[in-house]
Amino acid sequence: MNGIRRSMEGITASRELKEGTLRYLERQRARRGCTAWRRVSVYGFAAACCLFLLLGVGWRFLYAIPTSYISMDVNPSIELGVNRYGRVVAAEAYNQDGQDILEHFSLKNKPYVQAVSILLEDETYRGYLTENATLVFTVISDSPEAIMEALGSIGMTEPYSVLTYTSDSHCMEEAHRYQMSFGKYRAYLELAAYDKSVTLEDCHGMSMGEIQERIVGCRQHEGESQGGHHHREGYPGQEEDGTGWEDGADRSGGTRWEDDADQGGGTQWEDGVDRSGGTRWEDNADQSGGTRWEDGADQSGGTRWEDGADQSSGTDWDSGDCGGRGYGGHHGGHHDR
Amino acid sequence: MKNSEEMNRAVEMYADMVRRICLVHLKNKHDMEDVFQNVFLKYMLYKGSFENEEHEKAWLVRVTVNACGDWLRSLSRRRWIPLESLLEEGDAPDDASREVMEAVLQLPEKYRRVIYLFYYEGYSAVEIAGILGKKENTVYTWLSRARAMLREKLGGEWA
Repeated sequence: MNGIRRSMEGITASRELKEGTLRYLERQRARRGCTAWRRVSVYGFAAACCLFLLLGVGWRFLYAIPTSYISMDVNPSIELGVNRYGRVVAAEAYNQDGQDILEHFSLKNKPYVQAVSILLEDETYRGYLTENATLVFTVISDSPEAIMEALGSIGMTEPYSVLTYTSDSHCMEEAHRYQMSFGKYRAYLELAAYDKSVTLEDCHGMSMGEIQERIVGCRQHEGESQGGHHHREGYPGQEEDGTGWEDGADRSGGTRWEDDADQGGGTQWEDGVDRSGGTRWEDNADQSGGTRWEDGADQSGGTRWEDGADQSSGTDWDSGDCGGRGYGGHHGGHHDR
Repeated sequence: MKNSEEMNRAVEMYADMVRRICLVHLKNKHDMEDVFQNVFLKYMLYKGSFENEEHEKAWLVRVTVNACGDWLRSLSRRRWIPLESLLEEGDAPDDASREVMEAVLQLPEKYRRVIYLFYYEGYSAVEIAGILGKKENTVYTWLSRARAMLREKLGGEWA
């Protein structure tokens, strides 16, 4: 045995050191066993929380996000955000009149038809629906026809005029930038296409009936000056080859017909019959509950045009672009904000 | 995690070796006990398996050397404690052995380590290189220098 080995031979771990170490190890075993279980339960709890969070987020995504929008404009300008289940999940007013109305009740979580009915039956709201008033529904949706048909089923037999249009999310974004509902903004653009002197501020203070009256007046004036031809070369955004309709009639206001008959103050048709107070069409064909068109073809539930072409997927116009470049009843398309 | 029976066996088998390695490296009895317990705790928590007893022993040597090194680095400002405080009663069998032990303990740490492993545990330079993760030539160099220093202190009667 070498000297180093010999010198260290007596170096041993005492019984006290060994036993103390074994006790220490037992304590560590107990503590780590407990910690392991606690770790599992913490992980399990965290996993459950994540699951609930995901379910909550998913539900919120499915339920709370609007997939369609309805702008109701008379004097009050109110926009309803409607989810995929047809429930109102957002209601915004874009003028004081609208805010005053919405303060009276909550429309959230109600089917949109019911929400619209509630508004129409509200005493204050009804105060705006006078004989000369025009109630304008503007819809943004992937399936505007269904909404417009549903709106058409609401009993609106009062002496005010009702118009329906479609629009798109681009128009909505622009409108909101100007603190205006997209329904009123669409009307402003239509009027501005005729009368470049009109401003947003002007329209802010005008009722839809007043705007509509001016549009009709401009159209009549142009119609007279152009000998009945309604294609306005200067109409922003419209191509030279026209609006896409056979007759070149102006459809920039949305659901309009080839006959360019005076339809001021409501939709009126070439036969001169006053149909104000409802959306009706010149051919007198049975159009109960829907927007139908002059060609008499059954187009229930859709905005379609004189050429009879099937445009049921939306309003696909030549111009079809908001922002002052021509909108003509924007095709229902994007709507998510 | 190893069970109580396995730990009892390990402590009985390797406690003396671990203590000696701690003595070679550390300067404080309390530090030695902390490192001692820490080494066996690591052994208890080690999830791997050993091929044989030699493998297990080499693993423990490595872990103890590393634990001592870590402890020293964290307590680098501890002052030197006299050998008497490190040794327990009966550690050194006689004065000559005590003298050799003191000379070894006064060597630089890396020299002490290789001297202990070579002369006490009987590892070859190649095995020591494997345990410590060093090159063989490094271990040969350290051994050579350590021997020279011990020879200077103790003469030729220590190996």
